[in-house]
Amino acid sequence: MDWIFFGEISLAGLAMGGLYSLIALGFVIIYKATRVINFAIGEIMMFAAYLFLAFAGGMELSAWIALPLAVIGGSLLGGVIEKTMIRPMLGESPISVVMVTIGIASILVGLVEFIWTADPQLLPSFLPREPVFIGPLYLAPKIAYGFLIGAALLIIYLLYFRFSRGGVALRATASDQAAAYSMGINVRRVFNMAWVFGSLAASLAGVLVAATGGLSPQFGIIGLSVLVVVIVGGLDSILGALIAGVFIGWLETVAGAYLGGEYRMPATFLVLAVILVIRPYGLFGTHEIERV
Amino acid sequence: MFRNILNKGRRLAGLGSLVAALTVATPAMAQDKEPIVFGGSIPLSGVFAFAGIHIHAGLTDYTDWINSEGGINGHPVKYVMEDTAYEVDRSVAAFKKISGSESPATYYGDSTGFMKAIASELNSQGDTLMSGASFATALTDNEQYPYQFIPGPNYSQMFGIILEYIADQGKDGDMPTVAFVYSDTEFGKDPIENGKARAAELGIEVVEDIVTKPGSVDVSAEVLKLRRVRPDFVVFHGYVLSPINEFMVQMRQMGLDTQFMGTFWSSDKLIIDKMGADADGYMGVMPYNYYDSEESGPMLDALRAQAEKSDPEADYRPTGYMQAWFNAMVWTEVIKRTLDADKELTGDNMAEALASIKDWDTGGIIGIPVTVRDMSFPVGRIWRVNAEKGRYEPVSDWIHLD
Repeated sequence: MDWIFFGEISLAGLAMGGLYSLIALGFVIIYKATRVINFAIGEIMMFAAYLFLAFAGGMELSAWIALPLAVIGGSLLGGVIEKTMIRPMLGESPISVVMVTIGIASILVGLVEFIWTADPQLLPSFLPREPVFIGPLYLAPKIAYGFLIGAALLIIYLLYFRFSRGGVALRATASDQAAAYSMGINVRRVFNMAWVFGSLAASLAGVLVAATGGLSPQFGIIGLSVLVVVIVGGLDSILGALIAGVFIGWLETVAGAYLGGEYRMPATFLVLAVILVIRPYGLFGTHEIERV
Repeated sequence: MFRNILNKGRRLAGLGSLVAALTVATPAMAQDKEPIVFGGSIPLSGVFAFAGIHIHAGLTDYTDWINSEGGINGHPVKYVMEDTAYEVDRSVAAFKKISGSESPATYYGDSTGFMKAIASELNSQGDTLMSGASFATALTDNEQYPYQFIPGPNYSQMFGIILEYIADQGKDGDMPTVAFVYSDTEFGKDPIENGKARAAELGIEVVEDIVTKPGSVDVSAEVLKLRRVRPDFVVFHGYVLSPINEFMVQMRQMGLDTQFMGTFWSSDKLIIDKMGADADGYMGVMPYNYYDSEESGPMLDALRAQAEKSDPEADYRPTGYMQAWFNAMVWTEVIKRTLDADKELTGDNMAEALASIKDWDTGGIIGIPVTVRDMSFPVGRIWRVNAEKGRYEPVSDWIHLD
């Protein structure tokens, strides 16, 4: 066994898993607060990445200005979607709301093709390009720095949800909407806030992942593959999203390295199948979740 | 962005009016002879739209050009197409609609999936010859696909040309090593087994083969695998852009002096436009001259003149355009040979005419005379990116596989 190789592969997998966690967080925040599974999260990621391309590439702004602008743009998009398309669906069946999110995803793909064409794109390079070594272990710089940026946002989120009034309101609404409403919490505002925060996490992940793997109108499919992470972790568990994201990222990479690239997805789906049999609500999810 | 929207709108309007104009105007041009119909399932939207738009432009421009030259033996040409979004079911529906109403002599298929799916219907109808975007090795099986051909080398033949080039780089009996990197799709896997067999024949060691999932987000682990075996060449197949860029950049960051190569759809100028200086040295196998190459010839000059006429603002035409134009050239040659032999335009007669193509001068589209073998044109050349000049330059002679 070449332990150096295993260590390098594991590091790459864990770092990529960190970005999966960020995307999964986008799913979980929205589901936790509103009980809506947002199938358009991948397309929101994609839209934010295209915004970055427009700001940093087309308008030639500094990447460090373009990045927050793109992320804010993506989060605003989430807020607008909630207000104009999801809120009117309140009271409708979960399946109907899910179908709306799938429709939104298609609209976003069409919009992106119309504005930016269907050509594959590369984002302007903005992360350091010098190889990163942790001891003797090599780590691709884009993955390393992408992980650090993502981890910073995760920490900010965890602190916000733990200590801020908004975070308390969100957690209260997630626990019991009626009780939260009776205690004076503006539940509608919390719903909107959840979409904004969820889209913000996904948007940052979108830019970081696109900076590594390129961008096209089909980029949003990554969001769907992260659904495995969310189900394994538990649909309404932020901790579950973080742990499952890192684990699935690691597993996928190790399986790909030792068994071949065609085994990446089967390996993760095997874990999904086992988890669904043992704990249908996910590793850290709430038991009474009704699955779609 | 606003300008982009306007340009896009203008282009769509232009395409629409062009299609409408062709549909309306062709009967007026028909003189006294029946029009010959070129049909097409074209992916103007969806995952392959980046190429489909240029394929459509190539077929449209060729049709305009051939009609300005008097058509085919006096028959005007009519190009009829439907957008398929690169979906097999929509492509099949488009074929049925067009073949039901227009009886196309030739047809452009947008994918291997569609061309395989439609084969039995094509065989039973027996009146249409088909080629298209696919270079799949399987489609050169004459028994199963007697009315379909490849407008260039198939993917296995492309690997053959690449491997011949690599073998030529061996010095003092020291043969270079190679790694194959391909996507986990039918497209990606197509030439791998044949490629390995050909490499063994040439004495080239395939030190690693790496399959990546489609839409791969990170290839760091795969790059680490390549670092262990340090191949002299990496051949990519089944990609358009990503993750080729990541492999190249990361392997160079590691200090490896590996050279990188790709097949047809991985050898567009898009790679230079998007990667910039990082694309320098990347090589591709291409059966046609690039639009901006220094080569010339009567047909290549005609293509450039027609392209300039149809869209003066676009200063370059991608490989999809060249490929579509060449498809239509072959259709024309086949139809002409069939009519000259005083035969009906049936699938059998056109397939026979295709097989008779020997030492055919393509007027500069391909740099040497070409001969059809197993319903394909097994010819190509290795081109290398000169990032400073922003274009591919030839680094080998034309290689015609026997």
